[in-house]
Amino acid sequence: MVAPGVFGDLPSGPAAAVDWDRMASRARSLRRGKAAALYAFLIAVSLPIILPYFWLVTIAFSAKTGVADTLVLWRSMAVFAPAVIAFWLVAMLAQNRRQLWLGITAIALIAMLAFALLVGPDLHLRNFIFLVEPDFASIVRSRVGEVRGAIQFPSVWRAFGNSILIAGAQTVIVLTVASLAAYYLSRFQFPGRAAMLRSLLVLHAFPVLTLIVPMFLMLYWIGLLDTLFGVILVLVAFELPFAIFIMKGFFDAVPWDIEMSALTDGASRRQAFVWVVLPQVRNGLLAIAVFTFIRGWEEYIFVFTFLIRNTNWTMSLYMYYVRDDVMGVNYGVVSAVGVFYLVPSLILYLAAQRYLMQISIGGVKG
Amino acid sequence: MAKVEFRHVVKRFGDVEVIPDLSLTIEDGEFVALLGPSGCGKSTSLFMLAGIYLPSGGELLFDGCIVNEVEAKDRNVGIVFQSYALYPHMTVRDNVLFPLRFKRMPREEVLGRVIRAANLVQVEELLDRRPSELSGGQQQRVALARALVKEPQLLLLDEPLSNLDATLRLTMRTEIKSLQKKLGVTTVLVTHDQIEATTMADRIICMRAGRIEQIGTPDDLYRRPESLFIASFIGSPPINTISGEARDGVMCAGAVGFPFEGAPGAVTVGLRPELLRFTGSGLSGRIAQMEPMGREILYVVDTDLGYLRVLEHGSVAAHAVGEPVSIGFSPDDSLVFDTASERLITTARVGPPA
Repeated sequence: MVAPGVFGDLPSGPAAAVDWDRMASRARSLRRGKAAALYAFLIAVSLPIILPYFWLVTIAFSAKTGVADTLVLWRSMAVFAPAVIAFWLVAMLAQNRRQLWLGITAIALIAMLAFALLVGPDLHLRNFIFLVEPDFASIVRSRVGEVRGAIQFPSVWRAFGNSILIAGAQTVIVLTVASLAAYYLSRFQFPGRAAMLRSLLVLHAFPVLTLIVPMFLMLYWIGLLDTLFGVILVLVAFELPFAIFIMKGFFDAVPWDIEMSALTDGASRRQAFVWVVLPQVRNGLLAIAVFTFIRGWEEYIFVFTFLIRNTNWTMSLYMYYVRDDVMGVNYGVVSAVGVFYLVPSLILYLAAQRYLMQISIGGVKG
Repeated sequence: MAKVEFRHVVKRFGDVEVIPDLSLTIEDGEFVALLGPSGCGKSTSLFMLAGIYLPSGGELLFDGCIVNEVEAKDRNVGIVFQSYALYPHMTVRDNVLFPLRFKRMPREEVLGRVIRAANLVQVEELLDRRPSELSGGQQQRVALARALVKEPQLLLLDEPLSNLDATLRLTMRTEIKSLQKKLGVTTVLVTHDQIEATTMADRIICMRAGRIEQIGTPDDLYRRPESLFIASFIGSPPINTISGEARDGVMCAGAVGFPFEGAPGAVTVGLRPELLRFTGSGLSGRIAQMEPMGREILYVVDTDLGYLRVLEHGSVAAHAVGEPVSIGFSPDDSLVFDTASERLITTARVGPPA
């Protein structure tokens, strides 16, 4: 019991009763309103983001040479847009995980059935002719009777291999250099360390295009112009600063204790680095690897400027020249090349998604 | 096993001198605690022993040989960190095995040693787990196994118990102590917890600001603290201190006069709470607060000289809050320090006021 008089000034008793029910119902409707607005927004922004990819795939599998037919796109959209809206509605209305999965499965099944009925008859694989026929441009053109002036394409697999080589080599070099440099920056004191960290960020802030002319001259004089190795070096140079910066954050998070422990356990500094410290930053290495690889995979400006012979073409150049040459005749082939170009990075992202989510750049200590 | 010696060791970090001049000897097979508040240089000394820090000056000797320049990996020292520092990506087996990877040793013997080390600290069932799947106490044991597996000549423990809960701490204390006696390995324990130090170590080296304040057995430090710092640092609940001015057989503190025996001057008297008693006469006051601690009760008494702590045995409170009491003690239990130098005046005694 509270002593009488202590809280005497405050209102008490039934006179000041609070209408809890009214407040609860107001909060409920407010919450529902907010959720509805959020989902409406998500639907509005997700459609234009997903639609291009969806169309890309649809066109790649359905467009015919010399025919500008957009009807199939409208039909596919008639399936797709309701499916997206239904998906968000399910996400909003589902009470639990089971309902959510049931709903999504149901929508997916219905959408696939509708897609098969409405779009299915138009699907074919002829646009992927470039996979087997290097001189596909002439063939495609001959279908509409215009063969003159077709570009001599290399095999797409050649371009694919070049891209893999550039992206892969770049990834390996960046990973090696960045992990060593970041470890040193994280663990050792040396004059100019803070300035170096700052300059890493400044370097990354440079628009790389500004350096394209000096780079061209440099490669020309070194003799690496029109070689894959030259492009790899340039890409590595531009990717390194940021990679080092991110890796430093990861190394900073590794406690000193386990490293000291490894040293007293009889490891040398290098052994401690390889066996104890590196495994702790595995996620960082994976994230850097994926980002660097994809950066190399989609590289366009440098390969366009520094590579000349068509045997040195990468996938991005291949894509560019396909667009240049057969776009007017058959945009289905262009889309098909796009799909082929997209698939490796998509697979890589999906496989590494788990690790990419963990990237975070901690506080920067000078 | 090794005898360890610091000879005028200096350690500087940049311009900061953490250890100005440290000289001490640790005998072969001894269990020594480095005790002191945080920042007193005890962990720095430990890391110098481990070879992680290089001394800035002086000599560090193992069995009479200077090891200043010997690398950590060659020192054959086992260390248990406060955080245990287990390698998160390895199983317990690989963790314990790690120190043996660097020794040329047949596979059979390596595995045998791992099993033996695991048996020693009773983690043999956990060998296939990862450190993240272990409780704090289990991680501690694994860290011990890893430190012991290479049969080190020196075992270093850096606040090994501070991350454990109270009950587990008690068990591990006993276990580490008996393990040390069984193996006879020279052991250095670094701690800021006086109970850890007094319960486990044969000898305590009490440090303050990089210097040794006192070296002695736990009993020495408790009964005959050489300075006011040690007296206040050792003992729980902490010692009561009364500052006053001594002359002509009387020490005056505020308006209270204590019978005094010794040279005149400014003195500080230390009185252990457990050596104070409620008596008919003495320093009068009023009980301000009562803290039951199970086996004993701590009374906080409001006197003219401020709050004094009195520890009484028994679990039933004999006094109530607000009750007027008089505090008495035996003059032989009083510790008299010179206020200026904070050093113990061994010849001086103070008795309770009449």
